[in-house]
Amino acid sequence: MGHTFTIGIGGAAGQGVATPGDIFAKIFSRRGLHLNAYNAYQSIIRGGHTFLTIRTGADPVTNMGDRIDLLIPLNQDTMDRHLGLLGEGGACLYNADTIQPGTHAEGVQLCALPVSTLADISRNKVAQNTIAIGAAISMMGIGFQSLEDVIREQFGRKAAAVADENVAVARAGYDYATQNFRPFARPLPMSDNRYAVLSGNTALAMGGAAAGVKFYCAYPMSPSTGVLHWMATHAREAGIMVRQVEDELGVVNMAIGAAQAGVRAMCATSGGGFALMSEALGLSAMAEIPIVVIDCQRAGPSTGVPTKTEQGDLWQMLGAAFGDYPRVIAAPLDIADCFTLLAEMWNLVDKFQVPGLVLADLLLSEGRLSVDPKVLDFAPHVDRGEMITSPNGGPGEGGYKRYKITESGVSPRAIPGVPGYTHVVASDEHDEDGVLISDMFTNTHKRRAMMEKRMRKENGIAAAVAPPKLQGPADADVTLIGWGSTQGVIEEARALLAEEGITANQLQVRWIVPLHGEAIVEQLKNAKRTIIVENNYSGQFARYLRSETSFVADGHIRKYDGEPFMPHHIVEAVREQLAGGVTLSVPVHEIMV
Amino acid sequence: MATSSAPTPKVNRLGLQVLDYRGGKTTLCAGCGHNAISERIIDAMYEMGVQPERVMKLSGIGCSSKSPAYFLSRSHSFNSVHGRMPSVATGALLANKNMLGLGVSGDGDTASIGIGQFVHLMRRNLPLIYIIEDNGVYGLTKGQFSATADIGSKLKSGVINDLPPIDTCSLAIELGATFVGRSFSGDKKQLLTMLKAAISHNGTVMLDVISPCVTFNDHEGSTKSYKYMQEHEEAISEAGFVPSFEDISIDYDPGTTYDVEMHDGSHLRLRKLHDDYDPTDRVAAVKALMEAHANGEVLTGVFYIDPHKPAFTDMLNMVDDPLATLSEERTRPSKKVLDEIMAEHS
Repeated sequence: MGHTFTIGIGGAAGQGVATPGDIFAKIFSRRGLHLNAYNAYQSIIRGGHTFLTIRTGADPVTNMGDRIDLLIPLNQDTMDRHLGLLGEGGACLYNADTIQPGTHAEGVQLCALPVSTLADISRNKVAQNTIAIGAAISMMGIGFQSLEDVIREQFGRKAAAVADENVAVARAGYDYATQNFRPFARPLPMSDNRYAVLSGNTALAMGGAAAGVKFYCAYPMSPSTGVLHWMATHAREAGIMVRQVEDELGVVNMAIGAAQAGVRAMCATSGGGFALMSEALGLSAMAEIPIVVIDCQRAGPSTGVPTKTEQGDLWQMLGAAFGDYPRVIAAPLDIADCFTLLAEMWNLVDKFQVPGLVLADLLLSEGRLSVDPKVLDFAPHVDRGEMITSPNGGPGEGGYKRYKITESGVSPRAIPGVPGYTHVVASDEHDEDGVLISDMFTNTHKRRAMMEKRMRKENGIAAAVAPPKLQGPADADVTLIGWGSTQGVIEEARALLAEEGITANQLQVRWIVPLHGEAIVEQLKNAKRTIIVENNYSGQFARYLRSETSFVADGHIRKYDGEPFMPHHIVEAVREQLAGGVTLSVPVHEIMV
Repeated sequence: MATSSAPTPKVNRLGLQVLDYRGGKTTLCAGCGHNAISERIIDAMYEMGVQPERVMKLSGIGCSSKSPAYFLSRSHSFNSVHGRMPSVATGALLANKNMLGLGVSGDGDTASIGIGQFVHLMRRNLPLIYIIEDNGVYGLTKGQFSATADIGSKLKSGVINDLPPIDTCSLAIELGATFVGRSFSGDKKQLLTMLKAAISHNGTVMLDVISPCVTFNDHEGSTKSYKYMQEHEEAISEAGFVPSFEDISIDYDPGTTYDVEMHDGSHLRLRKLHDDYDPTDRVAAVKALMEAHANGEVLTGVFYIDPHKPAFTDMLNMVDDPLATLSEERTRPSKKVLDEIMAEHS
């Protein structure tokens, strides 16, 4: 990754941290720059401490990085907590009327803004924020016009007078900074590229829509609620039936009801909601009704930390529902992949008539990333599998058997209401035509045959999904193994390690089930030192990999404080482990949020 | 010489025989009230001339929920999970609103494990006939009390129920169901009439049918036994039904009979048996239920009906065609829509 520039904006919830973030994101993406934004916050409507990190650069920006270049504290608390993060060349823009700076590192520029003399603060409650944005834009070497455009867009034509006033306030900050502060050493570059800025939740929702999801239902639960918001906002124009349901039991069963009628039906939740959905995953598998369930993981157990990230639901997902059944589980690697994965997942679950589970997390769901629109395929290939939606001459000799025993384990699926193809769908074990075999007499031979029929789908699913590939030099000093959302941060850590002369490669797992354990072990067999990196306490993926393959990694880097990894966490842990004696590193998160 | 040919089988308006509405052989106990209910469903569907392929049978788990296997073999059937049929039905009927939904549940399935789902289903006024085959006990697990069992009623083992019952009818009325009644599996005429009217209704029909469990709850001390029902059933009205395809000019006395024109043009005629009976008054209906309960009577009949309230599927601005059978090009948002949405993110 080339040069990047990072802004940290902090304040209490309700102080308006989000708006400057949105403005900066718009300005950066319109300059043709990549960006990554991550908001650390708490479950509170007013108060608490919110800290938004927005990082930009000409190359793809995959994570929030290690350094802050510009700090904008909207209150004293933020100043006190974060001024120490700034290093040489950094700057802090603050309201001199209300905030006192503390001790700071050498070479940090303290930029005191005389807010009450620059704006009428009795009229404009967020004047300090707007002035700070104006000043920041000036110091980054960006022309004022790009800020003015975004402000005018925000207020719209109806509120032209309010827009004028805010433009004037921003201008005052811009001019004051031009006259009084030292600009950053490297002005922000520009390019002709144009990126869309998406949150993971938006990408999941749009990915579903592009895949032809016609039914979406959910119970609000952080951090998955953004998917519901997108769906509800765009239901009408996108032609999707969207319902908010009483609880997750209702949600998942409603999706199953809609799916058995013939539509692609999806739902998203977090760990607690997913726990309630477990029961129904068995129904989906037993009745062979494909659905997609997204779990946007947050820090557990129980209510846990609703606004913090974790990769802690892996074993819940692996163990969800009782009995053995085929299913697909995947963890998207970044926000763009949240979009891309859904079309792939839908084709798989439709083809094999199994539940499909997506293991996202708060970092992806609520983070924002610049995405090249070219990677978002709005008309992905749709394969509904073997579906019977019209009589077409009828089922022929012997009649229709919904659960016909086949080589692949997949039986052609008729939707309700097709004459000649009516059948029984049952959660009880059943025979080929759907008749319950738990009634009157259980039939051991039929039970075994049906069990084997369903489980045979695993072969087809495995063949349809590629094993993960080692990224980076084959003979690296260290091999970092991650899964899901840690792709970007591990990648950057590898680049930083290379600068120190430590070569690292990476095996990032996207498909959890099927895992392709043998292929993984094959790729790891020549690794000099393997370290598994994951955002949880017990090394859930390490345990899974070991249970599937007997592979035991040399070391582990784990983080379970609620915040995501920063590149230096991994770099320092690798250094520590290579030095010897340490096999488990638990990096400390220095930013107190 | 006179020859006698085989008598022409009776057919309904679709030309189907009653045979076309039958199901598999029951595996429930001989004399189980549920079997009688299955018979009435067969009769009602036959007499109303419903195309069997248009019916989607839905159920949860329990003796009641097995019964869809014993009627309408030519209809689609979804035997879901314990207490979850209301949401499965909601999803299914939203995805295909052309189907006629017939849900069969029990008192355990509805009033205990599925009470949350039941409550929210009633709020929606989804076009669904929801039948509770209510015997006050869990049969398949060998006779524990359910939440509709009356306080003070006694199990065979002598255990006395110490909690009051949930009245699914007053709950349904309060929550917005638009056709609520109670019947008794042994009351053939009343149950058949109510089922035929249910088929004509566009909205949620909630029918609680007392259906004695001959194995676990038909003894002295039970309030859900045949004997108890024969002694304590009190009809609030006498129901008559004239389907839309028959002559409706049969006389009735507007002073003593409510004539309800159903969604499909059929007429439900409810002759008052209680002085202050008014099937359009929710408060009166709940009051009558509570009074009857206090007097130890089991009130039956149509308690409340509103044929005009829009059904859930009519309120959601859906396309005319069922979502489930839209062509592929209609299942995805157009490029124009997605481009507009993308513009918001740049």
